Parts: sequence; C-alpha cells; structure tokens
Amino acid sequence: MTNYFYVSPEQLIKDRAEFAQKGIARGRSMVAAIYDVGVLLVAENPSASLNKISEVYDRIAFAGVGKYNEFDRLREAGIRWADGTGFTYSREDVDARALANYYAQHLGDMFTEGQKPLEVEILVAQLGSKFRPTKLYRVAYEGTILDEARFAVLGGDAETIRERFAATEEVIHPLKETLKNAVNALAGPERNIPTPDLEVGILEDRGNRRTFLRLDDAQVSELLS
Amino acid sequence: MGLPLFSAHNDPGPSFFHYAETSGLANASAHGSAESPHATTVIAVRYNAGVVMVADRQATGYYIASRDVRKIEAADRFTAIAISGTAARGIEFIKMAQLSFEHYEKMTDSSLSLEGKANYLSPIIQRNNLSTPLIVLPLLAGWDPSHQVGRLFEYDGAGGCYERFDFATIGSGSPFAESALRLGFRSDLDQEAALELGALALYEAGDNDPATGGPDFVRDLFPMMVTITEAGFQELASAEVGARFRSINDRRTQSGGVAGGTLR
Repeated sequence: MTNYFYVSPEQLIKDRAEFAQKGIARGRSMVAAIYDVGVLLVAENPSASLNKISEVYDRIAFAGVGKYNEFDRLREAGIRWADGTGFTYSREDVDARALANYYAQHLGDMFTEGQKPLEVEILVAQLGSKFRPTKLYRVAYEGTILDEARFAVLGGDAETIRERFAATEEVIHPLKETLKNAVNALAGPERNIPTPDLEVGILEDRGNRRTFLRLDDAQVSELLS
Repeated sequence: MGLPLFSAHNDPGPSFFHYAETSGLANASAHGSAESPHATTVIAVRYNAGVVMVADRQATGYYIASRDVRKIEAADRFTAIAISGTAARGIEFIKMAQLSFEHYEKMTDSSLSLEGKANYLSPIIQRNNLSTPLIVLPLLAGWDPSHQVGRLFEYDGAGGCYERFDFATIGSGSPFAESALRLGFRSDLDQEAALELGALALYEAGDNDPATGGPDFVRDLFPMMVTITEAGFQELASAEVGARFRSINDRRTQSGGVAGGTLR
C-alpha cells in the first residue's frame, strides 16, 4: 500500500516556485529596453548558435531565459502561432498581447498542473505601429504577466540588474546609449562582458515589413565603442 | 487558435506547410470541380547574371476575368515564384511558399538553400494536383547565393521538379513562347538580351493564344517583367516595359504583323 503524505497548498506552491527560481538563476540574464526609435533586446549568451533572442513576426520579437530546451519550444510555438494567425486572418491581426497571454496561460498551467514548473522567463516585445503601441510583456515562470513600461530585466539576477539599469534610464536614449547602459547593467561594476558573449537583437523600422535585426559582433562592438 | 505546442515525436519542425496541414489551417485536399479563372503565360530565361521572368496579366474564364493579375511574386529576397493554372489555387500557393520560406528562416535562424526551396514545393504541388482538378503549375527562379548563380526550376503536374539551364515556360501560351525562345536563346545572353527575348516570346504568345493577354496599349497595362540577380528580386517599371512592347509592336506594324525575317 502506498502512503500519501499531506502537503499544504502553500508549501506546494512555495516549493515549486523555489525550484523554478533556482533553475532560472543558473542561466544568464537579459535586458529588453525601448530606445528612441525601436526596441533593444540584449542577452548574455556565451553560445553563438543557441539563441535566446528570436524574431517571431514582422514587429514582434521573443526572448527567453532559463532552461534552453524549454524556452526554445515556446519560441517555436510562438512563431507557429504568429505565422498561422497571419495566414488565417491578416498580417496586421497578429498581436503580441495575445501571444503573451498564451504564454502566460501555458506557464501557469505547467506551474500548477505539470510534473514540474517550467524553469523559464519569457519576454514578448512589440514595435509600435499605426495600429498598436510599442510593448514589452514579461511572463514569469508561474504565469504572471507584466506589461513593462520602458524596460524589462529577466533572469536570476534581475533585481540587481534592474536597479543598475534604472539608474541610467531616466529618459529614453538612442540605441547606442541604451545598449551601453544595458551591457553595463548586465555586467555590473566588477565585470566586463566580451562582445562575443553578447546576443543582441533589435526591432526597428528600416523600410521593410520585417523589423527584426540580429546584430553581429562587429555591429555590437561598433555601438559599444 | 491556442499555442501550437508539440511533443518531440510529432513536432512538424520548421515546415509551415506540414504544420498548417496537421493543424487544419490549410485544406489538405478539396475534391470536386469549380470553374475559376486561369492564369496563363509565364516565361523564364536564364542569362549570365541571373534569371529574367516575364508574365502576361490576364485571368481568363469564359470571359476575361481580370486584366491586371500579378502572376510573378517575390517569395523572398532572392526567389521568385510564378504561377499558371487555377488562379485561386495559384495565389494560395504563392502565399504558402512565401510564408514557408520565412517560417523556416525564423524557426532555424538560417535560410533554406535554393535547391531546398525548389524541393520543398514538390509535395505541395503533388498534393494539390493529384487531389483536385484545380491544377496549379509554378516556376521557381532564384539567385543561389551559395553558388553565385541564377537558377531556374520547373515542375510537372505530379510535382516532379526539374532544373532548367536555358529557359522554361508555363501556361497555355507556352508553345508560341517556346518557339521564339528556341530560336533566340544563346547560353551567353546578357540582361538586356534576355529581357528583349523574354518580351518577344511573350508578345508571340499574346498574339497567338486567346487566353494570354499581350500588351494593352488602351489601358496602359503591360506584362510583368522581373529580374532575379545578386541584387535580389527587381520588378521593371511599367513605363520601361511599355516602351519595350511598344517598339516590338511598331516593328510588327511595319512588317505587316510578322517578324519579317529576323527575330525582332
């Protein structure tokens, strides 16, 4: 006969939250910020091919921190959802808020009903247009969705990085300053992150339908110089 | 539509077509027949720096359904797709191809090779043509960045994909266009010569095939002409195409409706 021990719901939630937080804290953090004409996504990522930042749709980008296999599956689902929605309706009907809500629901479900909560945090960024505002939606491991006003920090060390970055971001800067501040915030006072360990993507209007651009090492060095 | 999550064993991967089919976004097969307008003559000519494509703009049913159809579209920056056959299916096909190439790029953070794109379209054509009478036959032309050369692919009704090293035509005006191309094609054509030959072949098709629209001087509507080169997909301005067709038309007027002994 199997014995079941009683675990209070409070304890269960606490344990699960701790588990997810620990998993997320093992990875590096990332910063997303609105700059004067676009949205910047910058992550500390020693791998050049296992990306944390990705294009999702014409004006929508994705970023994930934590366990790579878990957030990458969410990234793929997001691209499928966006392409499928645009195919069924129209390109302008693809909205970041709807996608962020789906992520929130899924993460919430996994947190309460799954074998284990997902050890990830997700960011959905949208570059504003005639129809929609520029938005940063941050979705936490337990499904909390936050609409961040100017910038968002994801990952284990988020609070410290957030404080460092907030001190420099009283006003909205151009890309160059925003990137410098974000990298300094990620690194902290005692550390220097080498350019190849930075993954940088932007959403910016360049006359094309697709606004996402991945910046290579040379472009990042140039902006940081 | 919820969040399309899949487990590893039934994940459709970076293929949008596969995903659309498994999730019911696109109809796998629609039986029955319906009369719908047909799209008609498209020509592609390979030359020393890329591929030229020319297409008429008429959709023909029992009557002329439209005079300004676009039968060539950019599938992405370096690839063009042209359609013949059922207009409705053709347009859906172009949309599927455009979306699929972009989808693959976003999912994998790398572009499909040109050959990969050509092969990807085969089962889509096969599925459509073997399950409905609404046949669609495309042409794919592109600049291959990894081999630094323009390439051209044609398909048969069952989805077979064949690379062509000279030229290809699709649509009911093909026999007439093909004759002109066979007489005028050389392996060392430059862009200007390829454009001229393409325009001439389309003029021939428009002149002889009732379902191909030639230059329309009354409405100022001219065939579409595009080049696909290292610089990507570029469409010629209507005025430039108009001038080209006007000069062919003038020459034919002088020689009484025939070419008059030379290919011109």
